[in-house]
Amino acid sequence: MNELHRLWQLFQPYRTWMLFGTLAAILTLLANVTLIAAAGWFLTAMAAAGVAGVSMNYFTPAALIRGSAMIRTAGRYSERLVNHEATFRLIASLRVWFYQHLEPLAPARLQQYHSGDLLSRIRADIDALDSFYVRVLVPVAVANVSILLFTIFLLFYHPLLALSGLTFLALAGVGLPIWSQARGLAPGRRIAEDEGALRAAVIDGIQGMAELTLYGAAERQAQRIDSLSRRLIADQTRLASDHGLTQAAVGLCASLSLWVLLWIAIPLVDDGRLMPPQLAMLALFTLASFEAVAPLPQAFQMLGRTLAAAHRLFDIVDTEPAVAEPDTPSPRPERFDIEFTDLSFAYPNAPRPALSGIRLQVPQGTRAAVIGATGSGKSTLFNLLLRFWAPDSGRIRIGGHDILDFHGDDLRRHIAVVSQHTHLFDATIRENLLLADPEASQDAIEAACRVAQIHDFIAELPESYDTWVGETGVRLSGGQGRRIAVARALLKDAPILLLDEPTEGLDAATERDLMQALDKLMAGRTVLLITHRPAGLDWVDQVLVLDQGRELARGDVSVIPTAMQAALLPRHTEVEPT
Amino acid sequence: MSVNAWLKSQRPLAGTALILTVWLNTANGLLAVAQAWVLAVILDAVIFKSAGLADVQPWLWALLALFGARALIVWFAERSAFEAAASVRATLRDRLHRHLQRLGPSYLSGQRSGALVETLTKGIDDLEGYYARFLPAMTLVMILPLAILTAVMPMDWLAGLVLLFTAPLIPLFMILIGSGAEVRNQRQWKQLARMSAHFLDVIQGLTTLKLFGASRREVAVIARVSDDYRHSTMQVLRVAFLSSAVLEFFASVGIAIVAVLIGFRLYGLAVPVPTWIPIPDVTYLQGFFVLMLAPEFYAPLRNLGTQYHARMGAVAAAEQLIQVLDTQPTQINPGTEPLAATRPLGVRFESVRFSYEPGREALDGLSFEIPPGQRLALVGTSGAGKTTVVNLLLGFLVPTEGRLLIGEQALADIDLEDWRRHLAWVPQQPRLFQGTIADNIRLGRPEADLDAVRKAAQRARAAEFIDALPLGYDSPVGERGAGLSGGQIQRIALARAFLRDAPLVVLDEATANLDPESERLVQEGIDELARDRTLLVIAHRLATVRRADRILVLDRGRIVEQGTHTELAQAGGLYARMIAAHGPRAHRSED
Repeated sequence: MNELHRLWQLFQPYRTWMLFGTLAAILTLLANVTLIAAAGWFLTAMAAAGVAGVSMNYFTPAALIRGSAMIRTAGRYSERLVNHEATFRLIASLRVWFYQHLEPLAPARLQQYHSGDLLSRIRADIDALDSFYVRVLVPVAVANVSILLFTIFLLFYHPLLALSGLTFLALAGVGLPIWSQARGLAPGRRIAEDEGALRAAVIDGIQGMAELTLYGAAERQAQRIDSLSRRLIADQTRLASDHGLTQAAVGLCASLSLWVLLWIAIPLVDDGRLMPPQLAMLALFTLASFEAVAPLPQAFQMLGRTLAAAHRLFDIVDTEPAVAEPDTPSPRPERFDIEFTDLSFAYPNAPRPALSGIRLQVPQGTRAAVIGATGSGKSTLFNLLLRFWAPDSGRIRIGGHDILDFHGDDLRRHIAVVSQHTHLFDATIRENLLLADPEASQDAIEAACRVAQIHDFIAELPESYDTWVGETGVRLSGGQGRRIAVARALLKDAPILLLDEPTEGLDAATERDLMQALDKLMAGRTVLLITHRPAGLDWVDQVLVLDQGRELARGDVSVIPTAMQAALLPRHTEVEPT
Repeated sequence: MSVNAWLKSQRPLAGTALILTVWLNTANGLLAVAQAWVLAVILDAVIFKSAGLADVQPWLWALLALFGARALIVWFAERSAFEAAASVRATLRDRLHRHLQRLGPSYLSGQRSGALVETLTKGIDDLEGYYARFLPAMTLVMILPLAILTAVMPMDWLAGLVLLFTAPLIPLFMILIGSGAEVRNQRQWKQLARMSAHFLDVIQGLTTLKLFGASRREVAVIARVSDDYRHSTMQVLRVAFLSSAVLEFFASVGIAIVAVLIGFRLYGLAVPVPTWIPIPDVTYLQGFFVLMLAPEFYAPLRNLGTQYHARMGAVAAAEQLIQVLDTQPTQINPGTEPLAATRPLGVRFESVRFSYEPGREALDGLSFEIPPGQRLALVGTSGAGKTTVVNLLLGFLVPTEGRLLIGEQALADIDLEDWRRHLAWVPQQPRLFQGTIADNIRLGRPEADLDAVRKAAQRARAAEFIDALPLGYDSPVGERGAGLSGGQIQRIALARAFLRDAPLVVLDEATANLDPESERLVQEGIDELARDRTLLVIAHRLATVRRADRILVLDRGRIVEQGTHTELAQAGGLYARMIAAHGPRAHRSED
């Protein structure tokens, strides 16, 4: 139950809220029990007095009934308000907490997770934690206090009454929760997993619908979603059935408690050791007292789901980022030359290293190209330079400082990446561009879009820069979307420019215009290009030809033809996560 | 149809479980009446008739039987309520997803997938409250109070009248308080959908955010979006809590009045009512019985009040469902004929026009033919309409004007499923799905054996890197092929197309992201594939189109040129200019 302890710690800042919530809940419960018990006593006493023809003070009990009715109503209202307000504040803060732990893991550590699964964690799993507070912590505290008070109260009348009351309350408030918790553990875990799987399948089904439909796989996807949905519902049904059973059992405990009370108390009335109105009062009191334990079985049943959710959240939170942030402030480089020395790196579980013994020096303001076939290690080089992964051995230096001494964000502030693989967000074109620089002026935006050869197109749109991009906006073709991504990278005015096949998938005329525009932009910056096309590289100062993570050649462009000849020799493997 | 009517119309999906729930709860309510009576009898006997344990023993056993029966009923009622909603949820989720499939990718492109995901998951789950709780509560509120009133009236009509007149106050105040609640519920649901869509977008774009140093800035946005959701949720809950407080208050007042009226008469005090009303006498037995029934009388009303909020949650979710379900596929009467043409297929576009929105023509009266067994290439600047042509051909879009013919048959008449069985397609950005590499290659032919998969992978030049993976074809691939490079994903998608063995193959930038060597090898594979098949190739790189039998040059939705590579190169038009723009690259592949 390590998760329980950690959950409790997460809830610590809300202790005061919880205390007030619990107090209000106890007050409400006591008022309710008082109301019902007093009403039973009052009625019986009035009848007894009426029969006996004696007078009695009926103002005090009447006031007690009125008072507890009001406290009950007000108490319940404020208890719910306080506890829910606190829970939702907590939930909102947990989402931020989770995101803060998720963010450093991207992209290296998140590869194995489907976005639907992560979405399920930040949405459904965090939501599931609310039941820990509202349904577990507060009710358990309330039950503990009230069971104690109820037992003391019964002790005033007869020890046997107290013993029987305590027994049934414990049965309903401890026994049933233990049972339902054990029963809820496995389905709860499955539900948490299946909810994630369902979201993932739905996302695949929606975002990949074109391919699924075309390849006749839509039906299979529909069946997959349907079977996940039904499996989820089957587990929920199992829990609902158990819930029904425990509800019935709590009711039965209350009834049996009343029943045993009658067996004990009726002789006491006969003996005159108990007043008749007290019998009626105790009978109704017993029934009402079970409200204190009624929510517990379900709460503990849901603990399975809650713990599974907590486990899934802590799973992410506990993952170490692929690259640890340094404790010291980032260096402030004055020059921006890049130096790779004896760089080697292998992805986890990869059969062979992605890079081995790579050396390259790119002086400030010069341009270098890294050429290689798919899987030769080019993208890995960028991943290391961007500090998404840490090299196994060797170093990367920028302006003489090891990049591991930089905080990730500080390092990436100096680097702009022009690639077609970046994500366009579900927002307007302008908002997507401003991501690079929230302060950018309209002029700066337009200038970047001109370089990326996309300004004319945007200007022609009815809503211009305020056009909604959408996820795969109908207004944007693939090539247009990519150019917006390129413009965004250009808007980030950084001294180091990484170009990752910036013109792939563009038509020749656009490609030429873009390269000419980029040429101007590259002036004075340190540029590193990765490409699988060895042609048309006259504009670079040096090239590095990679093959299977090893250097094949290094020098000016004249080394390319020989190197490419060598690369044509049979090769075997390529493993290169992007 | 209103949302309410729609929700009601889905009732048959719940089957008999819903009716069973109502019956069980009714039985439980009636047994509660019996239980109150037995308990009153016992107390009356012990307190006023000096009965001992032995005298009331039969009654005590009866009480025990009632307890047992009620416990069983409660259990079964809870189960059947959940089952009623469960079958509605399972059916509707399936129906909704299939409807989305019918609407197709063109509908989805205008939607936020995160919001749709929320509708398909939480939205469907939110319907539970309506079918499992609200509907039974609605029926019970008409049965149980009446039944209890019938039991109370003969005992004490005065108390009965109090119940009768206070009861309508409850729904009245509920409606007053809840009048703005629907809007708030709607708003809450929209916030939830927005929050989910935002989270999905952020998760899928997290690396991009990091590249721009914006991932920390995003913390503030996450906090704001989560907090907005909290606000809208609390607004909904405050109303819910307030209305149940009011309900509770009225129920308490009702019970208190009943208690006072009975107590006064038992004690022998004058009841404060006008003297012309003949006040009935009441015994302790009757009085205690009525007092215990009073809470039972209000319970269904209070329950309805609570479940009213479950209903509003369901209504808000259902609104999103209906929005999707009410959207008609663009092709209102889908074709039903099987595809008549035999392989290889010929395709003809006849004056096809298409616009995504009025006034902006994407295709402007396009006519061309892909003769059977030929290879046609489509070139043009981005935004020229190439992808639109593909989407029309694949049946994802329907022409605004004009028609597509497959052989001599109009595409609009053909059963799309049958048509697509004859297609293979490699999109610009292929998507890989959860599963192994083999599963992904098998997408279009799930029954294919591993040999066939290997062969397809070899032809797509993917076999080499797959074999090098520790798990080979059984390697799991992440979403969007996480763990694989762009070129590798491209080749898996190509293998998928090879395995499909379809008479018409559409390649949209199939060799993008490949290095020249792989491209050359894949091109050989494509040439092999082209034998006996019809091919539509879209490419920016002219090297990949020169082998086409005919090239179509598209500009702003029109065909501006067509012919073979040599013809067009000499024509001095747009194509020739594109070759010139290519410069050294075009020449290189001429070798």
